[in-house]
Amino acid sequence: MTPRLTPLALSVVSLAASGLVLAIFTGRPELIVAVVPLVFGLFRRRFLASSDWQIARGLSADQAFEGEHVVVTITVSAEGNVPTLELFEPLPPSLRLVAGSNRGFFTLTRDQSVKWTYEVECRRRGRASLGVVHARLWDRAGLHAVESAARASGPLRVYPRRIQLRRLPRPRRTQTSVGNYVASSVGQGIEPGDIREFAPGDRIRHVNWRASLRFRKLFVTQYHQERNADVILMLDTLSEAGAAPETTLDASVRAAASLAGAYLARKDRVGLIEYGGPFRWVRPGSGRGQRERLLEALLRAEVVFSYVRGDVGLVPRRVLPPQALVIAISPLVDPHFEKAVVDLAARGFDLVILSPSPIPLVRRTMPASPSVDLACRLWALERRARAASLQRLGLRVLEWDPRQPLELALAVFNPVRRRMMG
Amino acid sequence: MWLPPLVLTVAVLGYPLLVAPARGVLVIGLAALVLCALGLVVRSGALVTAGGVLALGQYALALWLAAAPPRLAGAVLFGVGLVLLVETADFSRRVRGATLGPGLVASQVRYWVGFAGLAGAAALVAAGLATAASAVVRLPWAPAFAAGGAVAALVAVTIALRRRQIP
Repeated sequence: MTPRLTPLALSVVSLAASGLVLAIFTGRPELIVAVVPLVFGLFRRRFLASSDWQIARGLSADQAFEGEHVVVTITVSAEGNVPTLELFEPLPPSLRLVAGSNRGFFTLTRDQSVKWTYEVECRRRGRASLGVVHARLWDRAGLHAVESAARASGPLRVYPRRIQLRRLPRPRRTQTSVGNYVASSVGQGIEPGDIREFAPGDRIRHVNWRASLRFRKLFVTQYHQERNADVILMLDTLSEAGAAPETTLDASVRAAASLAGAYLARKDRVGLIEYGGPFRWVRPGSGRGQRERLLEALLRAEVVFSYVRGDVGLVPRRVLPPQALVIAISPLVDPHFEKAVVDLAARGFDLVILSPSPIPLVRRTMPASPSVDLACRLWALERRARAASLQRLGLRVLEWDPRQPLELALAVFNPVRRRMMG
Repeated sequence: MWLPPLVLTVAVLGYPLLVAPARGVLVIGLAALVLCALGLVVRSGALVTAGGVLALGQYALALWLAAAPPRLAGAVLFGVGLVLLVETADFSRRVRGATLGPGLVASQVRYWVGFAGLAGAAALVAAGLATAASAVVRLPWAPAFAAGGAVAALVAVTIALRRRQIP
């Protein structure tokens, strides 16, 4: 690495030249003498070694949720004397500096090490790569510098922010495994369903004594079975609107992560289909492992343009079970996704569309003006007309303003569904 | 870190007023002060350099107006002050908003103190050599030497500009 001159060196040379020119014009020796310290500084060039120091990075957590803070600690150590070392770590857009500075200046003596910490806020889901630290080694005067870079691995996975959900869209059909939904069929459970006459083999603790005394015969209480359900989250990654980190895809991913967590807590099997350029899916499953798999899949969810459009008919049955509740999460901007959803509904799937509205997200990125207001009103009318046309096909569209709690949008679902079923 | 360069600015611009307390010197000094202060605020090395050039002009005007015998000790102090002014201004510009490691400022101050001593001594030695040389070299040649030095400095500027620089 060759030391290079800095702008300060040019400043010093300019001052020296000015002093000399003025000395000639005025004929005063003091100006020549005043220039000597300037020239003296230029000739004090020192050798700058770029390999006398090392860095190591540590993170307070290698996994975090959106909005959480992570402390980055960088340890700088030197094998020789380092006059002035400037380190700069560029932050990816998904991270925001909240405390300290991602630029630091250090002076190190032989075998000395110093710790440098700063705190970042995780703004957007994804894999944040804190990899390269840019370094500039200055001489004491600041006239010469050497630039280099050091790699220190620091992978940080930022998961989508989870929203606590108490009410969830209830599946119309249940599966055979034990879960939290009261099924119409009778069997083992705790929810009383019906009574019938005692038959040999019935357990004594199921005898309904009140009915038995009234009818002078033994009756037993039958209980509804408690079953789980299959829930498939279908994420629209064909398009997005708004500015990061508040795009419709970000809102959709947060909603998907929240729904997945809530359904998995109810012992349901949850799967994911990413409907976009590359057609990706996660097979339905349950438990903590499935939660990790879903969050990992949601980390990589992004809009990738492609001329190829996936056909939901090609999705294997084990990924999209026929009895599953499909929750399609889409801003309904791309007509291809609507077509896929209508196709699924036509094949008899229990289907709900959760639509994060792109209008408030786009509006906040634009300066307020009457024409923007008018455009947004027209857009809202168009979305309403589109939702009405989907409802005419028997689909329920839940409009969600991403600035509002998700639970508010889901709350209207179950009463409507009961009315539809009734 | 803005205080040391500001103090040095006031000191460097105040010295010519001691040499010749004239209105013209004051006006140029004020203009230089504004440029240096602006350079410190907006973190511009070019503005501080322009202020330094004006300070040299102010000093030249003061010397010309005073028409006194040469005061080499004052010139050495002025030169050292000017170098420290641009170096401290550049240092404060570089470290603004950054985390400073332990002992960085103290070691930098130690360097500047040592540099001031060495540069001052070098200037005095150079002045002594020049005085001794003046006995040998005829007086009419002195402007030619100065012109040669100025040309050399300008060539150095050209070479510095041609080399790739660090922003």
